[in-house]
Amino acid sequence: MFSSLLLSELRILFSRRRTVALLVALAAIPILIAVAIRLASSPGTGRGPAFLDQVTQNGLFVGVSALVVAIPLFLPLTVGVVAGDTIAGEASHGTLRYLLVAPAGRARLLVVKYLGAAAFCIAAALTVVIAGTLIGAALFPVGPVTVLSGTTIDVGEALLRFLAIAGYVAVSLLGLSAIGLFFSTLTNVPVGAMAATISFSVASQILDALPQTEWLHPWLFSHYWFSFADILRDPVSWASFGDNALLQAGYIAVFGALAFGRFLTKDILA
Amino acid sequence: MWLPAVVVPVVIGVGVLAVPLTAGAAVDLPDKTPAEVLELAQTADVSAFSGTIEQSSDLGLPDLSSLGSIGGSGSAGGSADAAASGTDISSALELLTGSHTARVFVDGTDARLQVLDSLAERDVVATPDGVWIYDSEGASATHITAPADGDSDAKKAPDAADIPTPSAVATELLTKLDPSTEVSVGTDATVAGRTVYELILTPRASDTLVGSVSIDVDSATGLPLGVAVLAAGSDEPAFSIAFTELSLDAPDAALFDFTPPSGTTVTEQELPDSDRFADHGDVAAPERDGAEPTVIGTGWSSIVEIAASEVPAELADSPLLDTAAQAVDGGRVISTTLLSVLFTDDGRILAGAVPPAALEDAAAGR
Repeated sequence: MFSSLLLSELRILFSRRRTVALLVALAAIPILIAVAIRLASSPGTGRGPAFLDQVTQNGLFVGVSALVVAIPLFLPLTVGVVAGDTIAGEASHGTLRYLLVAPAGRARLLVVKYLGAAAFCIAAALTVVIAGTLIGAALFPVGPVTVLSGTTIDVGEALLRFLAIAGYVAVSLLGLSAIGLFFSTLTNVPVGAMAATISFSVASQILDALPQTEWLHPWLFSHYWFSFADILRDPVSWASFGDNALLQAGYIAVFGALAFGRFLTKDILA
Repeated sequence: MWLPAVVVPVVIGVGVLAVPLTAGAAVDLPDKTPAEVLELAQTADVSAFSGTIEQSSDLGLPDLSSLGSIGGSGSAGGSADAAASGTDISSALELLTGSHTARVFVDGTDARLQVLDSLAERDVVATPDGVWIYDSEGASATHITAPADGDSDAKKAPDAADIPTPSAVATELLTKLDPSTEVSVGTDATVAGRTVYELILTPRASDTLVGSVSIDVDSATGLPLGVAVLAAGSDEPAFSIAFTELSLDAPDAALFDFTPPSGTTVTEQELPDSDRFADHGDVAAPERDGAEPTVIGTGWSSIVEIAASEVPAELADSPLLDTAAQAVDGGRVISTTLLSVLFTDDGRILAGAVPPAALEDAAAGR
């Protein structure tokens, strides 16, 4: 019962034209970067996002530089759209009532909706990395990758590490998804929940950049977003992966419980 | 239905507060006298370890990290040496503000330090064959080797002992210990999951900015695991460096075998012997040759004076200095909670862990 509910949720989510459009937009980031660098005649000046100046020597860096560009805005934006839509979208379509008529239970529906949003996080991170790696391999030479510590690793290991980075980024977005799920239970207007979620992500990043709020930094869900680079060290530093996973789990617990409280006591009229 | 929404934050809050408490509460080591702890630290025999270090400075300086690039570009037009020392100055200043995380690997005479910056890394690999300094952001590497001709005047090449681990910092402090310092033992604690004795060094003199220095000495091996320096009249450390993670296993030997990756700008730098800088008159040699700095006074309140001829020209013109320094009688002074530096109008630099007024007196020869 649970698995069939989840399967149908995933099928509906990923066959929706909007979801596909979001993923295509994410895939366009590395493609734009790669094409722009390929067309520019002058070699990199060392400015711009990290890893960008390495792209001309090694196409595999396109995916990582695209992530650096996508993490502050584009990824939270797409996640905010999907997570903000979870409950409020059904409510605005008037389908929430019918979903609850089936003996699914509100708690179970909430879990299924969250897992759908989490699946989108994984798909989004993978889309950027895979599209970047493919376009990079098509337009630039590919070879052994120099990691941040100055060590060189072969292509196979580099691809594994990029996969681990995609996993890291997907985990990083789980806390934001939980926040979006909670906002989505508060309203019947999906756009409101989406906007609130995205504003939350921007606010968190602003607070993280202010030295005056340094005591707060380790508690912000965006604090470890850029620490995915720890996977590109030699030896790999997994400490930030663990810290990040723990922090996101905390956000899932708190905002999951809030969403649970709200959704189970809510009068569902639509 | 709202119960989980209340319970979950409470559980997380209790967990966050309780975990450090239980970790700190269980420590009760057999009592030792200050002399015994001192001996434990001085006879520590750990030649191989690896770990993670947290370093933080709160010296009351403005955050200068955003100005770092200005300091670098200001000297970009000059020779390679000038550019290198311009970068040295801004990175040294950068270390005085904010906090840093680094990983360190030590095995006998080999050592590697990795400063973990955001999306970047700076590496120092020190082996008996020379020192590699690698910066991933600029994709640049510097290879420092001792002069091949074995000139006895040449300075000793930096080696594994110069990597700033908590133990190296503590050893440096402990070797300079003299009767001007009162040594006591503080409360037992836990650092990086290991039980430590806290050795507290308090200056007997009252004319220094240093309130006290506490050194965490591992109870099992005697390895110093953390150093914290408190300014006089303050409870929060102005400077601290400590392990957050420590393993006493020998690190992978491949870590000490550094080859600059392709695409890296490599600068070969032989340690200068005494006549090297004579060739380029325009580049002042930073503290490498010629007269040693003068030391005025003794103990904690001693003042170091660097003669005008030894001060690199680009240091005095650095925009960083204009931002941080305040004009006083006879020069400009950078005043922090721990350290004061006076740049006199005639080009000398005086520095010490003393109030700025003491530097002005010393500069005027009072």
